[in-house]
Amino acid sequence: MVDFFIKVGRSGLEYSSALGRSGLFLFHSVFGLMLNLKGLRLLVHQLYKVGVLSLVIIVVSGLFIGMVLALQGYSILVDYGSEQAVGQMVALTLVRELGPVVAALLFAGRAGSALTAEIGLMKATEQLSSMEMMGVDPLKRVIAPRLWAGFITMPILAAIFSAVGVFGGLLVGVDWLGVYEGSFWANMQSSVDFKEDVLNGMIKSIVFGVVCSWIAVFQGYDSEPTSEGISIATTKTVVYSSLSVLGLDFLLTAVMFG
Amino acid sequence: MYQRSIEITVGVFMLLGFIALSFLALQVSGLSMDSQKDTYKIYAQFDDLGGLSVRGRVSLAGVTIGRVSAISLDKEVYSALVEMEIFQDVDSLSADSVASIQTAGLLGEKYVSLSVGGDEEVLVDGDTIFDTQSALNLEKIIGAFASGDISL
Amino acid sequence: MIIDRPMDRDKLLDSYIKITGLNFARGHRAIFNGANLNIPRGKVTAIMGPSGIGKTTLLRLIGGQIKPDSGEILLNGRDVTKFKRRELFDARKKIGMLFQSGALFTDLSVYENVAFPLRAHTKLPEDMIRDIVLMKLHAVGLRGARDLMPSELSGGMTRRVALARTIALDPELILYDEPFAGQDPIAMGVLVQLIRLLNDALGLTSVLVSHDITESLSICDHAIIIADGQVIGEGAPSELRKSESPLVKQFLNGLPDGPVPFHFPATNYRTDLLG
Repeated sequence: MVDFFIKVGRSGLEYSSALGRSGLFLFHSVFGLMLNLKGLRLLVHQLYKVGVLSLVIIVVSGLFIGMVLALQGYSILVDYGSEQAVGQMVALTLVRELGPVVAALLFAGRAGSALTAEIGLMKATEQLSSMEMMGVDPLKRVIAPRLWAGFITMPILAAIFSAVGVFGGLLVGVDWLGVYEGSFWANMQSSVDFKEDVLNGMIKSIVFGVVCSWIAVFQGYDSEPTSEGISIATTKTVVYSSLSVLGLDFLLTAVMFG
Repeated sequence: MYQRSIEITVGVFMLLGFIALSFLALQVSGLSMDSQKDTYKIYAQFDDLGGLSVRGRVSLAGVTIGRVSAISLDKEVYSALVEMEIFQDVDSLSADSVASIQTAGLLGEKYVSLSVGGDEEVLVDGDTIFDTQSALNLEKIIGAFASGDISL
Repeated sequence: MIIDRPMDRDKLLDSYIKITGLNFARGHRAIFNGANLNIPRGKVTAIMGPSGIGKTTLLRLIGGQIKPDSGEILLNGRDVTKFKRRELFDARKKIGMLFQSGALFTDLSVYENVAFPLRAHTKLPEDMIRDIVLMKLHAVGLRGARDLMPSELSGGMTRRVALARTIALDPELILYDEPFAGQDPIAMGVLVQLIRLLNDALGLTSVLVSHDITESLSICDHAIIIADGQVIGEGAPSELRKSESPLVKQFLNGLPDGPVPFHFPATNYRTDLLG
């Protein structure tokens, strides 16, 4: 019984120390971005690796999710004779929820795990240590550009996801199922509000971007420098990011639309 | 050269993000560049709003000429006071205009429909429309019909 | 650094690194237990000991990457353990460390790897950086490999490139972590020669951590043997060979059993087997 309490207490302490370490780590890295040409180069390079390389999966998933939404929405709405509302349904679902959330989940799986593995391997092969010993702060040189690339990329990916999804909905709803295009757009425009829906969705994706990139780079930086440690860290990145995104999404939705 | 091509693709990527956001803003949410244009306020009192909400459309002959900016309860007469922002360029609404709450389609959203009268005077900022028609309340009509108060 | 008392100055002149009362534990295992050691300036010092004894940890302690539980680590008269983050990064510009794996940046070419510390710490124009990089690569005999990526190098070449990168900023102190581990005899011979040559030509202080006794003793001026968290033997290689200490003898002659037991502490073998 006492053993149980000792165990709980110890793991509690461990978790809070990990949280503290990651907080300090975030603080040092966020303000460690070098604001000069060299820093910009590093950032652009990471934007390429984190953002551009995630574009294909985002566009393809966005298109299909938009198409599926239109199909499902149509089959329900047609019963009420209001199939022209399919555009509004697709757009609202995407802009408010699915755009930020699914883009963040895909980001965690595609870019987050890659970031963790890369940083973990750099640590395991002593590249981070050797950088430190050369008097170069790895938080500034390695972590900060990756972190900021994640911050910047996430809202862009979410916006592209939603836009492509609406386009997918248009393809299925208008071109295939024959909803009148005029009412498709008109219904959408009258129900989607820029501030309430689009901007709030963007705010969500910014929050998700911060959380996902933070988890990804911290797990890599804090990983055990062995092959097993890196595999554990990569798994943790995907699991923690997904859970945080879903949990935070509920909170943010409750605050924004509740 | 390698760095350069990366820079270009990242530039294109950022541009795509910007295009997507503008698409969401302009085409999806129907935000128009001139939605911030000057407006003036007029008021109207209704007995029953029937579900009209803030941000609802104000239209004249089906054309949107403004939006509902605030709704409050007038405690003296126990009726709803609706504040509307009307676009500045629609400046010739006659003082005896009629405001009515209507529904887009059978179950659609509620909006305020204005119809102008013949008065020479026009509504200016701060004026109130007194001649109003409340929302058509479907439940009330069905109730009245069922109890035999009205018949077809 | 100004020293007022003449006594301190004498001490400083002979030792570049002075460690007193070092205590460090990882988890429940004590790695250093009140160790004291001096590393003379301008010499090649070999730190030897059985594996798992904390030799790499010692280098990390000197480089300030980890902090000891207690004790002083004076580097050129200044205590590393009391440095603030910024001071530490400044101090490290004068320290080069060669890691066991070489730790080359895998996404940069050989040339860019050697240029990395120069670009990070100097504002030299590109043509000067090029000259320095080529000079350093020439010193390790790999000027022709400048355009290769680290994945295309053999183990020995990796370490030589890493050495070129380590000396790029002309450090005062170079720490070598197991420089001979996993090297073929030719690569080993090249490294032994390079370490000696660089030390004498650049007037460096070199510290190498190793368990390759023959190679280490053949190039070092001063050797320190560590076991059980303590320094058990210290001195010039010839003195150490004459040492009467059973521990030193066991280590230098590579005897399987002795004061350092062959068996990890365990219960009686017979009772263990018979249950």
